[in-house]
Amino acid sequence: MSDSSRLDSAPILHAQGLAKQVASGDRQLTILSELALSVFPGETVAILGASGAGKSTLLGLLAGLDAPSSGELTLFGESLAALDEDGRARLRAGRVGFVFQNFQLLPTLTALENVLLPLELSPLPDSETRGRDWLGRVGLAERLDHLPKQLSGGEQQRVALARAFVTSPQLVFADEPTGNLDHATGNRIIELLFDLNREAGTTLVLVTHDFALARRCDRCLRLDAGRLVEMQQDEVQA
Amino acid sequence: MTELTRTGSDGIASQGAASGVLRWVSLSWRGLRRDLRAPDVRALFVALALAVAAATMIGFFLDRLERGLERQAGQLMGGDLVLEQSEPFNESVRQELEDAGLTLSDQVDLISMVSRDGAFQPASLKVVDDRYPLYGEVRVRRGDEPEMLAHGPAPGEVWLAPRLAQILDVSMGEPVRVGEAELTVGGVIEREPDQSAGFSSFNPRLMMHIDDLETTGLVQPGSRVEFELLAAGPPEAVASLESRLEQLRRDGVEVRDVRVDRPGLGRSLERAEKYLSLSGLAAVLLAGVAVAMATRRYVDRHLDTAALLRCFGASQAQLTRLFALQLLWLALAASAVGAFLGLAGQAVLLALLTRFLSLELPPPGLLPLWLGILTALAVLVGFAGPTLLRLKRVSALKVLRRELDPLPASAWLVVAVASLVFGGLLWLYSGDLTLSFGLLGGGLVMLAVLWGLGWLMLAGVLRLVAKLPSHNEGGGSVNRQALRLGARQLARRRQASLGQMLAFSVTFAAMAMIALVRGDLLDTWQAQLPEDTPNYFAINIQPGERDAFVDTLEGAADELTSLYPMVRGRITAINGQEPREAVPAEAQGENALRRELNLTWRETVPEGNRVVEGQWFDTLESEQQAGQGWYGEVAAEGEPRVPISVEDGLAKRLGLGLGDTMSFTIGGQEITGEIASLRNLDWDSFRPNFFVIFPPDVLERFGHSYITAFYLPDEESDTLQQLVENFPGVSLLNVEAILERVRDLLAHVTRAVEFVLGFVLLAGVSVLYAALTASRPVRAHEGALLRVFGAGNRLISRTQWAEFALLGLASGLMGALLAELAAAGIYLGWLDLPPRIHWGLWLALPFGGALLIGAIGHLLSRGVRREAPVKSLGLLGET
Repeated sequence: MSDSSRLDSAPILHAQGLAKQVASGDRQLTILSELALSVFPGETVAILGASGAGKSTLLGLLAGLDAPSSGELTLFGESLAALDEDGRARLRAGRVGFVFQNFQLLPTLTALENVLLPLELSPLPDSETRGRDWLGRVGLAERLDHLPKQLSGGEQQRVALARAFVTSPQLVFADEPTGNLDHATGNRIIELLFDLNREAGTTLVLVTHDFALARRCDRCLRLDAGRLVEMQQDEVQA
Repeated sequence: MTELTRTGSDGIASQGAASGVLRWVSLSWRGLRRDLRAPDVRALFVALALAVAAATMIGFFLDRLERGLERQAGQLMGGDLVLEQSEPFNESVRQELEDAGLTLSDQVDLISMVSRDGAFQPASLKVVDDRYPLYGEVRVRRGDEPEMLAHGPAPGEVWLAPRLAQILDVSMGEPVRVGEAELTVGGVIEREPDQSAGFSSFNPRLMMHIDDLETTGLVQPGSRVEFELLAAGPPEAVASLESRLEQLRRDGVEVRDVRVDRPGLGRSLERAEKYLSLSGLAAVLLAGVAVAMATRRYVDRHLDTAALLRCFGASQAQLTRLFALQLLWLALAASAVGAFLGLAGQAVLLALLTRFLSLELPPPGLLPLWLGILTALAVLVGFAGPTLLRLKRVSALKVLRRELDPLPASAWLVVAVASLVFGGLLWLYSGDLTLSFGLLGGGLVMLAVLWGLGWLMLAGVLRLVAKLPSHNEGGGSVNRQALRLGARQLARRRQASLGQMLAFSVTFAAMAMIALVRGDLLDTWQAQLPEDTPNYFAINIQPGERDAFVDTLEGAADELTSLYPMVRGRITAINGQEPREAVPAEAQGENALRRELNLTWRETVPEGNRVVEGQWFDTLESEQQAGQGWYGEVAAEGEPRVPISVEDGLAKRLGLGLGDTMSFTIGGQEITGEIASLRNLDWDSFRPNFFVIFPPDVLERFGHSYITAFYLPDEESDTLQQLVENFPGVSLLNVEAILERVRDLLAHVTRAVEFVLGFVLLAGVSVLYAALTASRPVRAHEGALLRVFGAGNRLISRTQWAEFALLGLASGLMGALLAELAAAGIYLGWLDLPPRIHWGLWLALPFGGALLIGAIGHLLSRGVRREAPVKSLGLLGET
């Protein structure tokens, strides 16, 4: 995506002066401070950082799962500060997809039922057909009725990918999507993730400590001492 | 955005409301169906089904019994409304009753001598009109076979009781003389639909037509005749006469209203009814505790689902709806199963009990079913509600940070809500607000005390454990090591352990209480009618026959009660006033005011009687000047006033207490007594009982006869023959059949009570199941950690044993305390039994508890011990 096209449209996600402090004993621990970020429609953005840098905290804030201590954050053009927890949930419904490091599949649901779960909240016509279709796209057409425990780690993450895209969201957040997988399986999942993202034309915000994964994105940002720093191409290649 | 037309983030609102609701219904239904394999959901289901089964079983049963008794009562009384007085009823009263929509029938009761060829026998005459009987049929033998007839004898005819026919030695078609009339024997009565009781019925029955009454010449001014007006009609008709009936009562008419004066069940059955209600509630409480325990695990397991749904955009309201609906389906399914079990259970109870009440029962009504479902929902809301709210409060961020669990519901909130709901249920079932919330308040105070006690016990356990020599120091055995580890685990997880201890102690207490009450009820019943309970009554023993009568029985009869002298007297004044003016309005029609009472005198308190207020004569007498009997005093003072002892029930009905006076006319003389003591007695005791007892030396001068009761074994039929021959004037009444019936009834009530006890125990086991299910993951985790650190199977197994056994021991101690207090409260306040301490309980509950919890817990954790540590370690926190 070129810089000029980015400037043509409003950012789908915009953060300014974002800060998060948490109480640790009797003192305040600053995890994020003065953080700024704009993500535009169709972009793929990687956020890199070492363990404990606050990547997951940031992802939680960006997705509206948590409220910042201060700063402004708009998602789909709506200021999250004006919304309570329920309001933020409604904003997410059907428009945001998630992929988690530990898959987060419900153990009592079959693969298909897991994929259909977000659609229960934001129904689309022919939900079930869509669910089957998406499971087919991730190569699990034959495993619709399997429970998570009957699937391998890679297969479970594929179910999670299908679930993330099934509502045709505008924005997908991925939190270390390969963190629990071996190298080869991880690579296949990455391929699949980017393929699906491209086909659906979705915006992707990906949190990882894996440079190989980050390199696949349009932009890479490094979380450093609570702020985001744009990484240069050579930095990522290194 | 894609090519698809999406319903948008507020899609639910923009969709048709109906389809939205349907979607949630289907979503929750599917969720529940998938969940059915989870042990906590099964525990919830079992607990709820048990609550409904208990509530509906007892509800169906009592409802049918009540309605059956009401139906039968009308028949037993002879009508829905019975008016009785000593003169014929006038036309205006009849007109009023008929205008209200009642059908009337006249009846006259009197006692008269019946004779034939020189054989005489006093008989209890029942004079009936053409409309007799208003309800039911008479079973009469007119030829070879008995017939069921819906009418009485025709004019000119009499029907006799078999005993009367035998005494008079008459057959069908032969004449008997009643007063001045000669009537023909037209039938032998085998059963009357309406049965009146009392001493008048000691005389055999003779039934005749009202048209013949005049020719007998028996109704003369001053003769002792009861005129009855029987009325049948719908309850509304009787209700519409309310104020008129009140007026009649004030005029001295005895009014029996089927709605109020339903023949009692007797205290035994009444207690059994209460016991059943109590057990039902205990089962509901236990099920509630099980629900509370199972809900904790259910919520823990669904926190991830809730967080994920939050993440996908579900609002708190949607989450609440989803889980509430899921549990609603569970409750409804459990209600269906529970109601079915309840129906089956009540059929068993009825089979056990009603055959002996010879009741025709109406089919089960719907009300208990609704009550059952309401109970399930109430139990769910009350015992699971606050815990379920945790699901709503879950943060979406939990999907990223697993440790972010919402705070558990405050234990006090859980207890408070559950108590409030249970109090409401108590109120609903007992209909007694004060009792319900009194019990509840007491229960809450007890819970607080138990909580403190539990806390201290856990602290004590920790201290004790610290003093146990460690493995290295003492070279201690595996057992000691296991005990130390188990105790420490128990004491360190203080909140969870306290919760379990409370749940188990309430469970043990409820189980023990129901068992205790059962035992004491049975003991009381057995003591009430021991083997040698008198089976014969002898009345009308003349003073001259007294010694000879006793001599004849000597050696043959057991348990000959004292011979009580009997004088008949009528109450003529109360506190110097006309009796009816002196007593409360509702006592105007009291039998004792209209009839002659059997009075006796006695030096000592009669067997089975208990002075509940005031003092008995001997105590009083010692306070008087020595050497003077009551009669002397009476004679000296000129105005006779002697101390008397009155049965407390009669005193209460007449509004009398110590110091009030009652005047009696006996043989034309008036004697005034001052109430010196009130006695409590058991009217079902099969012994002679008296409303009023005088001291010796007052009534002797009046004509009197004696009454006694004795037990004569079957093989002593010679003695019986001797009595009949030597004392022809004495009436011997065999109560063996009635006694057998009561014994039989008690035996069946006992079985019903045991059946219900079994049910309560089952509910108790459901609590254990739910609790152990709830704590399984934590224990699995601990066991796996121990294994990782090198502990062998033996140590882990014994550690779990030790922990469960200690938990059971502590819970048993607390349960014993709770059960003892609760049982005492119930005895005093509800069942009217004297409370006592049950020492066995203090041994049985702690040690039984240790063994039971130890064994069941150990058994249920077997699977956990078999699992590889990796799996168990991963289990904690996973759904």
